[in-house]
Amino acid sequence: MKKMFASLLALSLMLVGCGGGDKKTDDTTKKDGNAEIIMITDKGTIDDKSFNQGTYEGVEAYAKKNNKTFNYIKPVAATDDEYKNSIDQAVKQGAKVIVTPGYLFEPAIYAKQTEYSDVKFILIDGYPNDGNQENPKSNTENNAIGIKFQEEQSGYLAGYAAVKEGHTKLGFMGGMAVPAVMSFGYGYIQGADAAAKELGIDVSMNYHYTGDFKATPEVQNTAASWYKSGITAIFGCGGAVGNSVMAAAEKADPVGAVIGVDVDQATESKTVMTSAYKQLANAVNDALASIYSGDFDKVDDDKILFRGGQNIVLGAANNAIGLPMDTSTFKKFTKADYDKVYKTIQDGKVTIKNSTAGEDVSVIKTEKVKVNFIK
Amino acid sequence: MDDILFLLSQTMIFAIPLLIVALGGLFSERSGVINIALEGIMVIGAFCGIFFIHFMQDSMNPQLCLIIAILIAGVAGMIFTLFHAIASIHLKADQTISGTALNIFAPAFCIFVARLIQQTQQVEFTDVFRIKEIPILSSIPIIGDILFKNTYITTFLGILILIISWFILYKTKFGLRLRSCGELPQAADSAGINVYKMRYAGTLISGFLAGIGGLVFVLPTSTNFNADVAGYGFLALAVLIFGQWKPWRIAGAAFFFGFMKTIASAYSGIDFFLSLGIPNYFYKITPYIATLLVLAFVSKNSAAPKAEGEPYDKGKR
Repeated sequence: MKKMFASLLALSLMLVGCGGGDKKTDDTTKKDGNAEIIMITDKGTIDDKSFNQGTYEGVEAYAKKNNKTFNYIKPVAATDDEYKNSIDQAVKQGAKVIVTPGYLFEPAIYAKQTEYSDVKFILIDGYPNDGNQENPKSNTENNAIGIKFQEEQSGYLAGYAAVKEGHTKLGFMGGMAVPAVMSFGYGYIQGADAAAKELGIDVSMNYHYTGDFKATPEVQNTAASWYKSGITAIFGCGGAVGNSVMAAAEKADPVGAVIGVDVDQATESKTVMTSAYKQLANAVNDALASIYSGDFDKVDDDKILFRGGQNIVLGAANNAIGLPMDTSTFKKFTKADYDKVYKTIQDGKVTIKNSTAGEDVSVIKTEKVKVNFIK
Repeated sequence: MDDILFLLSQTMIFAIPLLIVALGGLFSERSGVINIALEGIMVIGAFCGIFFIHFMQDSMNPQLCLIIAILIAGVAGMIFTLFHAIASIHLKADQTISGTALNIFAPAFCIFVARLIQQTQQVEFTDVFRIKEIPILSSIPIIGDILFKNTYITTFLGILILIISWFILYKTKFGLRLRSCGELPQAADSAGINVYKMRYAGTLISGFLAGIGGLVFVLPTSTNFNADVAGYGFLALAVLIFGQWKPWRIAGAAFFFGFMKTIASAYSGIDFFLSLGIPNYFYKITPYIATLLVLAFVSKNSAAPKAEGEPYDKGKR
C-alpha cells in the first residue's frame, strides 16, 4: 500500500511538473498571450471549417498584413459567465480589439462594452443585447459593432441553383434550429420556389433538423434513405452534419449531390455541388481596417458602413454572401444565370424571409415547392 | 421488398460496430473487470486507424490499407486499455473511475495530437473501402443484397469476431478460466489459475476489439474523424447488458438496436413507414425501453458475472 502511494505521489508530481513546464514554454513563445487583436471562439474551434475559422482567418489576414499582434482564447465553457471571463482575460492580455463570432456572445458583449469603453468589440452573427428571452434590451455602444449576414440570401441562391440545375427532389438537413441555420433553410425553400415558378415545374423538399452539429450514423442513414427515395440534392447545413451527408452521397446510387455551408466546402468531398457561403473573413478584415483607420470612431458618418454603435447586416449588396461559382460543379446553371439572380437580390427585387418570420417552417409560403417537414 | 433490403443493409452500419465493441466489453466483464472506457477506446482506435488511412490510402491497395488500419486501431486500443488494466487489476483502483478517466482523456488526446501534427483537429479520409459487389455471392437472393452488395470487409470481420468469441469463451480452456475469474476468482486461484493474468488478458482483448469497433464505426459515417464516436461506446454497454453477457444474445441485441435505429433515422425516406403514421419517437425509444424491461425482469437472477467490478485480493476470504 505504501509503495503504491509513493508511486502515485511521484506520478502526480511528475504530471504537475509537466503541466507547469508546458505553460512556461507556451507563455514565452506567445509573450504571455499578449496581443492587440484577440478573438474569442464560441462552441467551435479556429479550425472548424465554419464560422470560427472564417472569423479567425479574417483576423489573421489583417493582422499579418498590418503587423499587429493577434491571438485567440477558447473559453472553458459556452456560458455567458465564461464568455465574460474570457473578455476580462483578453483585456488583461492587452487587447485593444476583441472579435467574437456567434450570437451566443450577445449578452457578454452587452455587459462588457460599457465596462471596457476603450476597447473595441466586433460581434459577428449577432447584436449586443441582455439575452432576456421575452423583452430583450439591446444596446450597441460606440465602441462596438454587431455584424449579421443575410444567410437567407445565400440559401436562396443555393435553392435556386439546385432547381435550375435540374434537381426536383431536394433535401435540407440543418443542425439545430438556431437563427442562422433557419435563415439558410428558409432562403433555400424560397430560392427553390422561385426557380420552380420560372421553369413551371413542381418540386418537393424534405426539411429536417438533426438536433446536433455532429457526424453520426443516424445523419448518414437519414441522408442515405433520402437519396434512395429519389432525392438528388441535400443541403447539409450545420458543421459536421454535412460530412455525414457527404458520406451518404458518395455511397448513393447514382451518386448524390451535396450543398455545403458557411465556407467553400468543395475540397471535403467531390459530391459537393456548391456551397452557400458568407464572407466572414472579409467582414472581419473590413471592420478591423475601419478601426485602425479611425473611421470606426466617426459614429455619425452615414457613409461609413463599419462604424461604432451600429448593428449592420451584410448581404448581396455588399457581395458578402454567395456561391463559389469557380469550384461549383454545375452543368446547366451557368455563371450568367448566377449573375442574373444575384443582381435581382442586390437590387432588392425579391424579398426573402429569414428566421424572424417564425420558428415553424410552415410560415414560408410556397407555390411550387411542397415542403415536407420531418421531425 | 426493396425498402426492406435497404433497411437491412443499412442496419449493418449501426449493428457491426456495436457488436464488435459489445463483444469487447464481454471479454473484459467476463474476466471480472468492468470496462466503461469503451467509448474512449473507440475514439483512440478510430483516431490511430484513420490517421494511418489519411497518410497511406493513396499509395496502397484500399483493402490492404483497411486491414492494416484495423490492426493498428486494435493495437492502439489495446495499449490504451493497458492503463485501465494496470489501474484496476494491479493497483486495485475503482474500475468505474479509471474507465471514466480514459473516456475524458481520449478525445482531448486526439485533438491535441492531430493539431500537433497537421494543425487541424479533423483527420480527413476518403472512403475507398466500400465493395460495390462481390461476384457470385451477390446474386444469392436476399442475403446477397444485404451482405454482399455495397458492403465493407468489416461486416464479415464482425461476424467472424462473433464466432471466434463464442468459440474462445465456451470451447477452450482459456475461455473457461477467463469466465471463472469473473465468477469466483478465489476458487479459480485455488485451482491454480493466475487471476491477474486472466484479467489482463480479458481487458486487453476488450481494448483490441473496442479499438477496431471505433474505426469500423467512423468509416461509413463521415468524411473526416473529429475525435468523437457519438456515444456508441456507451450504447455498446447497453447492448452487452441487453444481451445478458452471452455472445449470441449480444449479436441479437446489436442487430435489434441497429435495426431500430435504422428505422428511426430512415423512416422519412421510406413510404411504408410514413404511411403507418407512427411517430418517430416510438422507434427511437424502443431499444431503450426494451433494455429497461429486460433489466427489470431478469434483475433477480441477473446473468452478470458475479465478481465483476471487484478488484481481486488474494488475502480476502
